[in-house]
Amino acid sequence: MISTVHTLNILLSYLYLITFGVYLYNFISEKDQANNTNRILLFVTLLLHVIYLLVRTVEFNHPPITNKFEIFTVLSFALAFAYFILELLTDVKKTGAFIVFFALVFQFISSIFIQDLIEVNEILRSRLLGIHVMSALLGYSGFTIAAVYGGLFFLLYRDIKLNRYGFLFKRLPSLEILEKLNFYSVLIGFILLTISMMIGFFWLPIAFPNISYFDPKLISFIVVWFVFGIGILAKLFAKLYGKKVIIFSLVGFLIVLGSLFVTNVIAESFHSFF
Amino acid sequence: MNLIGISINHRTSPIELRESVTLSQEEQIEFISQLKSEVLTEGFVISTCNRTEIFGVPKNNEITQKSIVQNLKKFKIVENLKDEHIESYSSSNALSHISKVAAGIDSLIVGDSQILSQCKDAYRLSVNEDFSNTVTRKIFDLAARVGKRAITESQISQGAVSVSYAAIQVIEKIFSNLDKKEALIIGAGETSELAAIHLNSRNIGKITITNRTSEKAGQLAKKVSGSSIDFDEFKEHLHKFDIIISATSATDYLVTYDDIKRTISKRKGTPIFIMDIAIPRDIDPKVKNIDNVFYNDLDSLNIIVDQNLKKRKHEIPKVEKIIEEEVDSFHNWHNTQGIVPAIKSLRSFFETIEIDELNKIKNKVSNEDYLKLENMAKRLMGRILHNPTIKLRELAESGNNIETTNQYTKVIKDLFNLDNIKQNEKNN
Repeated sequence: MISTVHTLNILLSYLYLITFGVYLYNFISEKDQANNTNRILLFVTLLLHVIYLLVRTVEFNHPPITNKFEIFTVLSFALAFAYFILELLTDVKKTGAFIVFFALVFQFISSIFIQDLIEVNEILRSRLLGIHVMSALLGYSGFTIAAVYGGLFFLLYRDIKLNRYGFLFKRLPSLEILEKLNFYSVLIGFILLTISMMIGFFWLPIAFPNISYFDPKLISFIVVWFVFGIGILAKLFAKLYGKKVIIFSLVGFLIVLGSLFVTNVIAESFHSFF
Repeated sequence: MNLIGISINHRTSPIELRESVTLSQEEQIEFISQLKSEVLTEGFVISTCNRTEIFGVPKNNEITQKSIVQNLKKFKIVENLKDEHIESYSSSNALSHISKVAAGIDSLIVGDSQILSQCKDAYRLSVNEDFSNTVTRKIFDLAARVGKRAITESQISQGAVSVSYAAIQVIEKIFSNLDKKEALIIGAGETSELAAIHLNSRNIGKITITNRTSEKAGQLAKKVSGSSIDFDEFKEHLHKFDIIISATSATDYLVTYDDIKRTISKRKGTPIFIMDIAIPRDIDPKVKNIDNVFYNDLDSLNIIVDQNLKKRKHEIPKVEKIIEEEVDSFHNWHNTQGIVPAIKSLRSFFETIEIDELNKIKNKVSNEDYLKLENMAKRLMGRILHNPTIKLRELAESGNNIETTNQYTKVIKDLFNLDNIKQNEKNN
């Protein structure tokens, strides 16, 4: 089984590279591709990635969350999977290269540096922790994807405003679609973050009887959840459109980055395992 | 190939001259009748605002392109039509030219797809007036094929090349579902009408027209299945529209910066597309500085038009390659035309022998044996004639050596006495 783990580890980098290549070609080419080659390729890559994560979990008897490079492969999967769901929901296939690129980078780094750890902190063997981390990463991936689409929205917005009808103008979908992709990504991210939070609230007091509810990671998690929650409510009920919605998601993403920096680099947390 | 023709087009003649030789449908019918009686056995006439083309097979070798020009001058009574205004074509050149016209690469706006349907109309008229025969039919098959391939295999007709279409291209980069959007057209003149028609063709949710003369607004609204609002009130409704197009002859701004500022605030940031195609402009261009307002005037939209025209010009070599292929294939067909009757006569000669010989033994053998003999005779004829038929076709289709093809044809005709089939039958 260990050989399967190693083979899949290498194979995944190549698969993400090919998938990225196909999506990039689809974006650069001016012809609208009616076929689903890129989607099928992404699906196969994701399927093998799930198998890889499961085999790895069984082989080493812990979810792949015990070191940075295991987290990277989960993050790569989370990004690609969140994008896949988004593509299925919206049927917009032109912009995949912008997201699959990040999945490729994380998987590539992981494939090179990942280690086969058998001896790990016992707490990290918990399957519930695995789901908690996985859904949190999926949630953050949703916000990352939203930020990418937010960036693309602003690039196209600026081009149209300045009457620059170049490469991006010709190839990007409409502002309305980019806004929709941005909002759906936020929605996916928020739902998965909520799931992660709920698992955390049930599981944390059991795993850590001395848990502090003023832990910086918990607080930042809740802040991020509130910011995006307010954004979604504002969009749905106050009928916010266009630039305002995008700015909201970008500010939210900056808060995510800031909170990750503070909780992982500056502050001490019971959440830190490696 | 005996095909001649003339072309008076946007490259050779100024608009006044082109107008003076343009033929209406009624005139074309009359002119075709004149051509038929005096110069051409078959052919066609294409006449649009940018070109008049007359092509056909001459009645005899004395008839040249000049004869066609003389006929045209006589018919339209045009004094100032000189040699430099006319392009003359014959044979392969004529075919290539017609193909270029059909593919739109000879049009004033490269890639114009309307010309293909105008070519088809010309062919229909030629058929209706009994002016079409094998050559004309084949030429139009060629033109239609070239036109179709040019559209599907190249990007010669891609991209907006008019300001109104360019505006649609920008609108489609802002909004996704045009069927849920509302547009306001300010003005009811020719430009407004064109813009309204373009929007309507893209299934815009609702089109509203406003004009100083409300009757005109009503008339245009009817044409595009829209509605009209009173000119004095339109500013109060600006926030309801996602697209505003203005094309009036007003001398001052009709819509000011403050009007749009108020509008966008009422729309809670929902984008608005403004297209000002009036000269002088109707809408204060400063509105482009307001967030979520996408303002375009003639200059900015012409950027798209120029880009697309440039791109279409890059596609011309691809289309020329298609034309070359199709003209070659036309020549292959044309070269076989001399040989087809010889092949037919040869086969018919052998079939006559076959039937004759079978008849001789019909009553001497059983039915079952007769059927076997009949099958054998058919197979025998097929095998004997297979190689000569293929060889002759190949020779003709290669088009490399017409003389050799003619010699082969002559030898076959002489050997089997194919020109005197009846005498042949008697001898046999």
